[in-house]
Amino acid sequence: MHKVEQLGIATVGFFWCFLMWFSTAAFSPSIAATYHLTIKDLGLLASSAMWMAPVGRIVAGWASDRFGAPRTFAAILAACGLVSIASAFTTSYELLFAERVVVAIAGVSFVVGVQHVAQWFDAHEIGTAEGLYAGTGNVGAGVGALLLPRIFGTDYRSAFLWLGMIALVVAAWYLWRGSAAKTMERRDAVRCGGDLRGMVFVWTRYIAIALMLAYAMSFGLEIALNAWLPGYFARGFHDEILALGFTDVAGIQIAAGTFAAVASFNASLFRPFAGFMSDLFQRKGWTPLPLIAKELPYAPRLHWLGIALILITLSMIGLTVAWLYGFLPLSIAVLVALGIFVSFGTGGTFALVPLLFPDRPGIAAGFIGGISTVGGIAYPLIFASVNAHVGYLYVALYMFAPFILFYFWAARYERHPQEHGLLGRALAGQRS
Amino acid sequence: MNHVDIRVAPHEPWYKYGVAVLLFEIAVAIAVSAYSLYMTFNGLGGFPGKH
Repeated sequence: MHKVEQLGIATVGFFWCFLMWFSTAAFSPSIAATYHLTIKDLGLLASSAMWMAPVGRIVAGWASDRFGAPRTFAAILAACGLVSIASAFTTSYELLFAERVVVAIAGVSFVVGVQHVAQWFDAHEIGTAEGLYAGTGNVGAGVGALLLPRIFGTDYRSAFLWLGMIALVVAAWYLWRGSAAKTMERRDAVRCGGDLRGMVFVWTRYIAIALMLAYAMSFGLEIALNAWLPGYFARGFHDEILALGFTDVAGIQIAAGTFAAVASFNASLFRPFAGFMSDLFQRKGWTPLPLIAKELPYAPRLHWLGIALILITLSMIGLTVAWLYGFLPLSIAVLVALGIFVSFGTGGTFALVPLLFPDRPGIAAGFIGGISTVGGIAYPLIFASVNAHVGYLYVALYMFAPFILFYFWAARYERHPQEHGLLGRALAGQRS
Repeated sequence: MNHVDIRVAPHEPWYKYGVAVLLFEIAVAIAVSAYSLYMTFNGLGGFPGKH
């Protein structure tokens, strides 16, 4: 078996999981019309897509180390596929809601694929490989929003049925052709590391916590902005959007939704490039930032991620500054840049995770990819609690700046940063 | 995972195809963004699929 085939299987599996994850949102108007839902009901349905992510990713990451990525991924695809099929025949809204919450578990497959790719690709190409996997898979959300309503119209039942049936086919393919690791030695090392001590070890490492915060600054911010930006532009730039020629509520929603979608689209599609840049930093040996280690085998990747985090913070401040000038095109330009910088953060983080925790890539990916999604809930609450325009500045100064300082501090060790954590090695797990 | 000789390790054949795919994805991102923003700033519509 070739590693590119494994990358292809993981990417297709993740793409399909993302498609299922966001298919509920794509058909929410149809579901709302069928069951006469209120705005509050719709908000609950939309937010339910994220409920299972934090805990689910932690469990999925551990399972991929313990049982291998193909079995874990196939189980997720099959379970979510079967429930998706069941939801196509459901006539009660309460049951449909519960079933779609279960289908949304498909989103936890991200960390399983990260582990799978890490088990097949070597250190010098891991950034591009992980970037291609995650970035291409993420496009499933956009494809779902664009194509599903066009293919199925308002017939969400048929969509859920087909999505579920194809998920079963992909699950069978994953089991048939998927292989857990490039070598048995690598597979055995990861299986042995996938115990409770291994989990405690990863969770207490300063560098793992720093990467989790880095991912909260990037992916956590991405999902927060997906939910927040349409409302922000509709309210914060109401008069400017009216001046563009969008005179009714539907038109303002279209314009505001477009600005949000462009940021999200760039954050997904630039992610492989971010992984490639991490590889390039590594190959060239670029270590421009102060304090961060320069001698570690993967030190340049730490510097690339550090640069990404600084750019994200600066562009968040830029969003507030752009509002001070009251110039909509400037805000959009900053937003596009922010979307790209967010991709630098997401791609840069997962170019590092498998290298820092080679014996526990699934557990580390589960911790970093799972807990960080809480940012998607926290940031909008902060944005909403202060003046909408100033919220970006608050988050940048009071959250992102301390996160960056912690990252610089945790990444300063020139030897084995994994050995430094809240617990001693003996307490947290005996190996790094 | 191999931690040595990273800076001199030659790229394998798949790598150039991987780079081609990521460049294609960047081109799609730029094209869709430019088209969507052009439509919006001219009051013609918005992101494809949300007209």
